[in-house]
Amino acid sequence: MDEFEFLRNVTIGQYLPTGSSIHALDPRAKILAFVALIATTSFTGSYVGNIILVVVVLLLVAAARIPLGYALAGIRPALPFIIALAFLQLIFSPASASSPVLLQIGFVTVTQASAQLVIISIARLVELILLVSLLTLTTSTTELSHGLESLLAPLNILRIPAHEFALTLTIALRFVPIIAEETERLMKAQVSRGADFGSVSRVRFIQQTRKLIPLLVPLFLAALQRAEELIVAMEARGYLGSQGRTRFVELHATARDFFAVLVAIACAALMLLVQFPF
Amino acid sequence: MSSLIRTENLSHVYANRAQSQSIAALNEVTLALARGEYLAIVGANGSGKSTLARHFNALLLPTEGNVWVNASNTRDVSNLRAIRQAVAMVFQNPENQFVATVAEEDVAFGPENFGVPPRELHARVDAALNAVGLGSLRARAPHMLSAGQQQRLAIAGALALQPVALLLDEATAMLDPRGKESVMNLAAQLHRQGLTLVAITQAMEEAAQAERIVVMQSGRVVLDGAPREIFAEAARLRALDLELPPFAEIAAQLSQQVSDFPHNILTLDELVAAIIARHSNHHARPFNAGDQARVNSLPPPPRGGGLGRGQHPIIETRALRHIYLRGTPRAVEALRGVDLEIYSGEIVGIIGASGSGKSTLLQHFNGLIRPGAGEGTVVVNGIDLSKPNADVRTLRQQVGLVFQFAERQLFERYVGDDIAFGPRQFHYSREEVRARVRRAMARVGLDFDEFKDRVTLTLSGGEKRRAALAGVLALEPRVLVLDEPTAGLDPRGRREFLAQLKEWRAKENLTSVIVSHHMDEIAEVCDRVYVLDEGRVAFSGSPRELFSRVEELASFGLNPPPALKLAQSLRARGVAIDANVLTIEEVVAAIAKFLTGGS
Repeated sequence: MDEFEFLRNVTIGQYLPTGSSIHALDPRAKILAFVALIATTSFTGSYVGNIILVVVVLLLVAAARIPLGYALAGIRPALPFIIALAFLQLIFSPASASSPVLLQIGFVTVTQASAQLVIISIARLVELILLVSLLTLTTSTTELSHGLESLLAPLNILRIPAHEFALTLTIALRFVPIIAEETERLMKAQVSRGADFGSVSRVRFIQQTRKLIPLLVPLFLAALQRAEELIVAMEARGYLGSQGRTRFVELHATARDFFAVLVAIACAALMLLVQFPF
Repeated sequence: MSSLIRTENLSHVYANRAQSQSIAALNEVTLALARGEYLAIVGANGSGKSTLARHFNALLLPTEGNVWVNASNTRDVSNLRAIRQAVAMVFQNPENQFVATVAEEDVAFGPENFGVPPRELHARVDAALNAVGLGSLRARAPHMLSAGQQQRLAIAGALALQPVALLLDEATAMLDPRGKESVMNLAAQLHRQGLTLVAITQAMEEAAQAERIVVMQSGRVVLDGAPREIFAEAARLRALDLELPPFAEIAAQLSQQVSDFPHNILTLDELVAAIIARHSNHHARPFNAGDQARVNSLPPPPRGGGLGRGQHPIIETRALRHIYLRGTPRAVEALRGVDLEIYSGEIVGIIGASGSGKSTLLQHFNGLIRPGAGEGTVVVNGIDLSKPNADVRTLRQQVGLVFQFAERQLFERYVGDDIAFGPRQFHYSREEVRARVRRAMARVGLDFDEFKDRVTLTLSGGEKRRAALAGVLALEPRVLVLDEPTAGLDPRGRREFLAQLKEWRAKENLTSVIVSHHMDEIAEVCDRVYVLDEGRVAFSGSPRELFSRVEELASFGLNPPPALKLAQSLRARGVAIDANVLTIEEVVAAIAKFLTGGS
């Protein structure tokens, strides 16, 4: 019955400390390992491969001691996109003569190949969302940005501002829950004035988009205001860019971190090399 | 040169390129602040007080004149880092000043910028967190702290710079009474430890805590002196749209009714002492219990609106429960069985500390949150919201909900269109929409012809608040539910709003439910009050009954109104005065009677 409970479904940027061994890993190791796993999901096109990946992801969720329902909640907001994507793939996937036809409804032809494409891409998206959620649930955004900053530091030689990039990321992530809360509040305020965000047919896109204006305009105004206030607050605390800054958090990688990265890369290599029958 | 901060003929002009006009925010301000001083800068909205403070740490540079911090001119860029380190600043909105997602890392942000080596960095963060009493919450995310804790965290972030002076830019404006108190106590403590303090504020009780007050108007310093001298100029302050702190106000009113009553009083203790002294000077024998006979109890002030107990309540909740984030590790039980009735034509207050469930309860009144199975019932105007097929849309037209800082929801370019949003959603005819907008604007005191085509963004803060209220009133609801409707308004705006609420009830029998942290507002407008404590109704009854139970108030995290505090203190000292007073007018009348009645 909670039409407007947003925060419940936003898991990106929501750190959930459970004290597991995955939480304790060096963020750099975690980023590298997750990048390896995410890359694997995008290379794996077989049923068996994806089943293995789903199992691996679920094992990771268990190892991180994150309640399964909590990890899965991140999928819900993405559900319309997943469905839309599957639908488009079904319609527009190239008809290959070699693949047997499973179903024919009007102009839509479902072949074995296109069915596999759809199912695999849904599985990949779910794995991807779970992996990203898992990374952010086990790693505080600050740890993430420290990790990224450290990993990107070599790029400073190429004059790519790793620190600024990491800071921007931290701030963006920090404001996710705040903006979500604000959206919820605005939605409730506008609904109290008679707005109706829910019950319009999905076909009338323009109408649907126009309905968001009472939400988007104040949201953007507030976001700009926030940005301005934050800049002033940062300046007042002596921020003048990365030069001459020291670090409160210093990262120290241990043998366990190297081991975690190695396992992830080995896993990725295996999935790439082994040819699964389906 | 002994002053820490000094300005000379400081002027600041904000250039507004969009409208090719410029606004003079500061005009020839000359001011000196000594090391270790505690200065409060007060003034109505737009008087230039924040602009002035931003020159103290070179966030703004003078368009004319000069500012020196520690004898360094702020115009010289090479002094910038030293100035920012020496003069730290905390801002109004706690949400918008944190950079990191963990409390301790945010505290470290300042010293990190100054290249403090890691070992010392950790020591400084520890010291700063302990100084503000947040040592145990160091690993929390800032947005998971209460607003009061967030501001203390922001102060810790400032202290980690080891500054000479701390600027608080309306740092308590968005806090509840408890948060305000904790931040002001912390500020006073830091000042005692030698920190120079500058507090920009609208709250006169807070300014009274300072050693020196500067009053600003239209970019100029109009008064500068010790609190006692400033508050002696009651008439002058009122002309500047400022009010006296409550006990100074009571003293000022008493001095008009009672001969030779001192008017330069700041605190409760001083006021009590002055009343007792005045009494013994003019009466040969000291007061005793016998005086009680002369103190008649006051007649209760007239209260409008029929309570209509015979009729059905317009809003009724039974055993109402609500849990946020149900089924997640972060689940919070916000309501734990609330029974409440609101009758037509009543003004009902809902009070309680932050987190007691007030907002959650309000959102049930127009179906934003609806009770599920086993969560009790809400019946509003005959519509049972626990039934899945309840007509919520009709209900939302009958119960208008006005959120805190309602002006932030405005989105249309023109004021008239924004107010028309609601009626248009319900598909009224053009003429009907126009008529409703006209009526709604008249009710909030915005002239239809003058304001309907004004650009929303160009309205003043107070006008925006009125426009947002009109946007809800345009649906012509039978019940108006208001969450902290006076937050952020200046004293005049607050008085006008409360008068309006009473007028709507008197003229149109409009039912109102109001949530407020200001006990004096509750005392003034409400017929009945519900006190929420940890999701349950801890008390319900008239404000008079509630405030007669002073001991319990504190246990709910609430402060009694100042008039009542005074009456209680006087009675504790043996002065037989009616303890049943709620407003400043009532307590002044009672004391005047006590002081002059017998002679």
